[in-house]
Amino acid sequence: MTEHTVRLSVRTDKPRMRVTGTLCVLAALLVVAFFVSMNTGYIRLSPLDVIRTLAGAGTGQQELILYHFRLPRIIMSIFIGIGFAISGCILQGVSRNALADPGILGINAGASLMVILFTFAYPTNEDVPVFMVPLLALAGGGLAAGLTHALSIRRHEGLSPVRLVLSGIAVAAGLDAAMIILTVKLSPERYQYVLEWMSGSIWGTSWPFVLALLPWLVVLLPMVYRKSNVLNVLGLGDEMAIGLGAKLDRERKALMVLAVGLSCACVAVGANISFAGLIAPHIARRLVGSNHRYQLAAAGLTGALLLLVADTIGRCILQPSEVPTGIVVAVMGAPYFLYLLAKSDS
Amino acid sequence: MARLRAEQLRITYGGTPVVPDLNLSVPDGKITVLVGPNGSGKSTILKAMARILRPHSGAVILDGKAIHALPTQEVAKQLAILPQQATAPEGMTVSELVAYGRFPHQRRLGLTASDREAIEWAMRITGMEELRDRPVHRLSGGQRQRAWIAMILAQQTDILFLDEPTTFLDVTHQLEVLQLLEKLNREQGRTIVMVLHDLNLASRYAHHLVVIQSGEVVCEGSPHEVITRQTLRDVFGVEADIVFDRRTGTPLCLPYGLAGAQDAAAASR
Repeated sequence: MTEHTVRLSVRTDKPRMRVTGTLCVLAALLVVAFFVSMNTGYIRLSPLDVIRTLAGAGTGQQELILYHFRLPRIIMSIFIGIGFAISGCILQGVSRNALADPGILGINAGASLMVILFTFAYPTNEDVPVFMVPLLALAGGGLAAGLTHALSIRRHEGLSPVRLVLSGIAVAAGLDAAMIILTVKLSPERYQYVLEWMSGSIWGTSWPFVLALLPWLVVLLPMVYRKSNVLNVLGLGDEMAIGLGAKLDRERKALMVLAVGLSCACVAVGANISFAGLIAPHIARRLVGSNHRYQLAAAGLTGALLLLVADTIGRCILQPSEVPTGIVVAVMGAPYFLYLLAKSDS
Repeated sequence: MARLRAEQLRITYGGTPVVPDLNLSVPDGKITVLVGPNGSGKSTILKAMARILRPHSGAVILDGKAIHALPTQEVAKQLAILPQQATAPEGMTVSELVAYGRFPHQRRLGLTASDREAIEWAMRITGMEELRDRPVHRLSGGQRQRAWIAMILAQQTDILFLDEPTTFLDVTHQLEVLQLLEKLNREQGRTIVMVLHDLNLASRYAHHLVVIQSGEVVCEGSPHEVITRQTLRDVFGVEADIVFDRRTGTPLCLPYGLAGAQDAAAASR
């Protein structure tokens, strides 16, 4: 009997160890990417210089480059990657649609529109009250998500995932059109700025922006993680989820609010790169399977890695000018995504 | 004795009553099978009794309390349901799926010792131990159905609902699933309520057979009482011979013609 139990427990733990190993590899890659990104840029710093400066023994110039320019930007990339990836993970789980992401559901468009409206009110960059922007983006994204949600609900049937995605596409298209109309009204300099923002440049690259995003992640991520088994049960279908005792509507709404909050905060202070929210959960699922306890962690790490690498490449590939991170993510991600689709066996 | 019963249950879909007024008691510790023609409302009744559908009026009573008013998580510790054609997300392994059956018992993330025990037991009794690390979507139809049954067994409820658990399975796997359910009922005294399409399988495995037509109970009782030429003609519209299984003594029906066609043929003669 004991021998039997021992054999069983070994067999249950084996896939789990594999998952832990995968997560460790992702974390290690992120650390490597962190140091490479620290070295990369207009002024190159050797890994030793980086470590020395981080330990507090660098020159004044090195400290300025690292602490003032590179570190906040790197941390911002990591935060945004995590935020979009987790948001996408939630939305794909709730809608039971592997193609859902914050962009498809209109969240990003709503947040972007609100931020653009806001730039009309504040024509210069300097006096933008940084901590207001996420709130406005949250409102915009929330309104768009609410609209999408309202359009996809039908009486007696509840929320249909297919209709959710379809109305999200419609809402996003409408909001995008409104944004184009608005950008036409902008002055050329402002238009340049907005265009860069919409194509996914990370613009909040100083410490105040990082600090503005931080509380969102600190508050929302543990809440999402605590809901990981709800996400698992929702993945089994509505009837099964009710049968297992999940409060379907309430849980779904709570999770949507978390996803909206995460992606709006990222759009607001960081960049509009919802594609990261589509692709990171996919990669995570390939790596650790569909259990959200691990998938969330893997998606967060993958998203962070993806954005950090993309941002680093964007910074150095066309020096001294920069390629928007969103474009690098798309260039890197699209072929891989097509490969995944071609390989998928269902 | 009946822990679970429907009282004056009325279910509507967009204003149209699908089940007008249903009163039904589920005998404890027995296998109850709902049969009826397509569109008779048997699946609807099953779903309403497992609180997946909300009735227009009336109530499903579990241990003296209205099931739709009870906290859904508490209900999930008393009764489990396997819907028709449940699908698992791609890549989910058997042991992961079965573990989700512990959801109503979990207060926090992670599995406790008793969770693990229930999962192991459910996989053992359904013969899924060897397949534990296999992705569910790669299993054969019969194995997949066993994996899902293992999941609702891990829920450790006294009452089990199954909506057509044998549909799309070949004859071997149909028997495999039904024998498993019969064993659970016999050895553990679980109350099982299911919808079955095949009348002969229903007759063989049911203790209590309920015939549904247009959302109403036409007749109920033991298979001997229910499977008659009259019922088959009135409810299913077929003329059939009734024979008795030599091994089990249960009635079997052998349909030989449509009831309407028979009338027409008789009239033309």
